[in-house]
Amino acid sequence: MIRKLTLLLAALITSITVLAADNQYVLGVDGLACPFCGYGIEKRLNKVDGVTDVQVDVGESVVHVTMQEGKVLTEDRARQAVDEAGFTLRSYSVAEGRTGGGNGQ
Amino acid sequence: MGSSRYPVRASLLVGALLLASVYTVQSAPNTFNTALPVAEGQYLWREQLVLRERSDNGPMDRDVSVQALGSVLGYGVTSKLAVFGVVPYFFNKELDVTTPMGRIERNTGGFGDISLFGRYTLYKKDFTGSTFRIAPVFGLTAPTGDDNDRDRLGELPRPLQTGDGAWDGFGGVVTTYQTLQYQVDGQLLYRENGRHDGFARGDETRFDTSLQYRIWPRSMKGVPGSPSFIYALLESNVIHRERDELRSGTDADSGGTQWLLAPGLQYVSRRWIVEGTVQLPVAEDFNGDALEDDYIVRVGFRRSF
Repeated sequence: MIRKLTLLLAALITSITVLAADNQYVLGVDGLACPFCGYGIEKRLNKVDGVTDVQVDVGESVVHVTMQEGKVLTEDRARQAVDEAGFTLRSYSVAEGRTGGGNGQ
Repeated sequence: MGSSRYPVRASLLVGALLLASVYTVQSAPNTFNTALPVAEGQYLWREQLVLRERSDNGPMDRDVSVQALGSVLGYGVTSKLAVFGVVPYFFNKELDVTTPMGRIERNTGGFGDISLFGRYTLYKKDFTGSTFRIAPVFGLTAPTGDDNDRDRLGELPRPLQTGDGAWDGFGGVVTTYQTLQYQVDGQLLYRENGRHDGFARGDETRFDTSLQYRIWPRSMKGVPGSPSFIYALLESNVIHRERDELRSGTDADSGGTQWLLAPGLQYVSRRWIVEGTVQLPVAEDFNGDALEDDYIVRVGFRRSF
């Protein structure tokens, strides 16, 4: 019983750590209209230092980017990555309190 | 000479069409190019199997069959400039013809002439969920294929060879309008064929259009992430070729105009595209006598990495 409680506590602490550590950005991207085209954006954003996950939402024309603890994705850096992929950054915002998953690659 | 002109011309057209049609590597038409972007540092790899049959109903009862594989590698130098290499491999190029000696078969195979070309995005206008782009395309075809292969009857007709021995140049413009629901592409391309050993294929002008309409998912409402799409395709290729140049004159039985329509399907995922079309002749107006297309099947895949 104690062992189970300990494991549960450890999992809870880990979750809180992840919540506190990761930060996620939501990028609005214009020009994105098919899943195959979106891979170029994933590739460029994954080259940005500190990015741990990139999720492209084609239907909403947005890209969710998760950064490591202490790393920041500036709007200029996001715009550069989207430009390098051949698309246009429409909007940039920080999604507070959300966590990312694994590596998008 | 007269009996070999028709298959010669047919084989030339086969080769030209094959090269002109394997350029595409983005989510795009199956038979020509697109203006959609290749990200800086992104590679695109494509393989397309081409099966083409041509024949006539004349006394020579000619049949030309081509089974080939077009391999394409693309690379995004910048977000606007992409370069591509095209390597055709002919499993078999075969001519069957009835002669006074009876029915004969001549064939060859191997690597064809390699093409290199660049595409630059001159204009783009991005909207939420759609984009419009215009991109010029310029390239060269190098004489890397065999142009003097022989069989038991002697040297094969020039166009039946896997290469034509000449440098060719081509250029044009491609435009794309893509939305979440459909995509329209148009291409105007001119190919100037070089001369080698007293022979030059006729220069070629082609106008291609394509409509790709998403049939799955039926609606994007409430569909998160990057779902795979299935597109229905309908493509049109209008191709005009000048007469072939032969020594100081031209071959009266060469060149002409052809219109092909190609229905097909395309499965598009995040990193893969699997596709297939069947090109069917709608109208053909060749100079003199010529072989007619029966069909051209194109199946293949594309991979992004």
